[in-house]
Amino acid sequence: MENLMQGVMEKVKTWARINSPWAIHYNSGSCNGCDIEILATLTPRYDVERFGIKLQGSPRHADVLICTGPVTLQSRDRLVRIYEQMPEPKFVVAVGSCGISGGVFQGCYNVVGDISEVIPVNVYIPGCPPRPEAIIHGVVELLKSLQP
Amino acid sequence: MNINFPPIVALLFFPGGAFLLFSGLVFEYIDRKLVARFQNRIGPRWFQPLADVVKLLAKEEIIPTGVMKGLFVALPVVALTAALTSALYVPLFGFKPVFSFQGDLIVTLYLLSMMTLCIGLAGANTEDRFSLIGATRALTQLFSYEAPFLLALLGPAIALRTWNISEINAGAGSGLWFIIAQPIGFVVALVGLMGKLELPPFDAPEAETEIVAGAFTEYSGRGFAIFKIGRDVELVIGLTLVASFYMGGFATPLDFLWKTLLLLLVTAALQSLFARLRIDQTVGMWWRVGVLMVLLQLVVIIVGQQLAPVIQPALQSLFGG
Repeated sequence: MENLMQGVMEKVKTWARINSPWAIHYNSGSCNGCDIEILATLTPRYDVERFGIKLQGSPRHADVLICTGPVTLQSRDRLVRIYEQMPEPKFVVAVGSCGISGGVFQGCYNVVGDISEVIPVNVYIPGCPPRPEAIIHGVVELLKSLQP
Repeated sequence: MNINFPPIVALLFFPGGAFLLFSGLVFEYIDRKLVARFQNRIGPRWFQPLADVVKLLAKEEIIPTGVMKGLFVALPVVALTAALTSALYVPLFGFKPVFSFQGDLIVTLYLLSMMTLCIGLAGANTEDRFSLIGATRALTQLFSYEAPFLLALLGPAIALRTWNISEINAGAGSGLWFIIAQPIGFVVALVGLMGKLELPPFDAPEAETEIVAGAFTEYSGRGFAIFKIGRDVELVIGLTLVASFYMGGFATPLDFLWKTLLLLLVTAALQSLFARLRIDQTVGMWWRVGVLMVLLQLVVIIVGQQLAPVIQPALQSLFGG
């Protein structure tokens, strides 16, 4: 009986998580190309509120950290702090080539490296910059991976 | 419809309690969908507010350092409780209020203000500077819309010579609707309600482009979810109040539905029409325009009431009535 209740509760929780991913957007040192594409994703043309995706101002309200660019020495501490300010369960989406490998900024004197060197990443979205459709696809892949 | 529910049922299930919570979520969905349609979007799915709330409730709640723990945990609960309590005095869904006495209009308005006071305290409680600015703005806004909103709801009360919500609800439908008899009061009450709920264009207290999320910045998970539900409940109760006072009152659930949904349509249109006002513009608008117009309306009502016994016989003798 207790197991059944727990199972149902888990199902409800997963359902809610999949249907209401609130996002926060952070630029850890990218050239702004990916950020413009992310903003384009949030416009009425793509209307991500259809999937329950909402951009939040505060990391305390967010579930998904959408992160762009290589991590610079300056922004590493801030990125870690924002990640730690988010309540569990939390997910990270790295957008753009620089977030995956450091891109053209790899080996720069002021760059730590890609995002996964600083915080754990769940989904990578390649592209320089990726199209809004690709970004939506990436978030949908993340939500699919939550399904047991 | 005058069905008397046993108090425990009225408190926990219908029309208060669980049913009110769910209708709050439904009203939030309709509001978001309407705004989305006005912006030429498709908008959220029908279960969106429910999924949001369940997700927030299932999330971790972080209690930041530097806050008074008890206050941080209790404030959302107090806010929701006050909103739910005020539901007992209004004719929700066209049913008779569970409790009613002479002067319950004032009690209800104070209970509705508890929400804003809780938001103010919640913001001042944390060390975060964004929360503090959000709290200051929320309280400043409280001082600006509260007086005109109260005065606007007093118009029908004075005209009907009663301070009892259910009597006003019954009396509002008998004569000319107050939306026609007191148009200024209606506009002020509706816009005041939008200010109370911090809907755009009065969302300066939680302007996410300037101050992150205002007083809610440090709230996560459970606390934020309860604040959210509380605001949805307040939306339902506020719409009920304005609709019952100005749109002829209601006696059946069907009456309730079409009148409140019509008001919701108007507020959604206003939300998508106007851009956010600065906090000084909000205060200026209310005190320079809102209060003066409502006071003018009140003077007209009171003078009319005093003169009516004098003028009516004169008119009757003139026109041979």
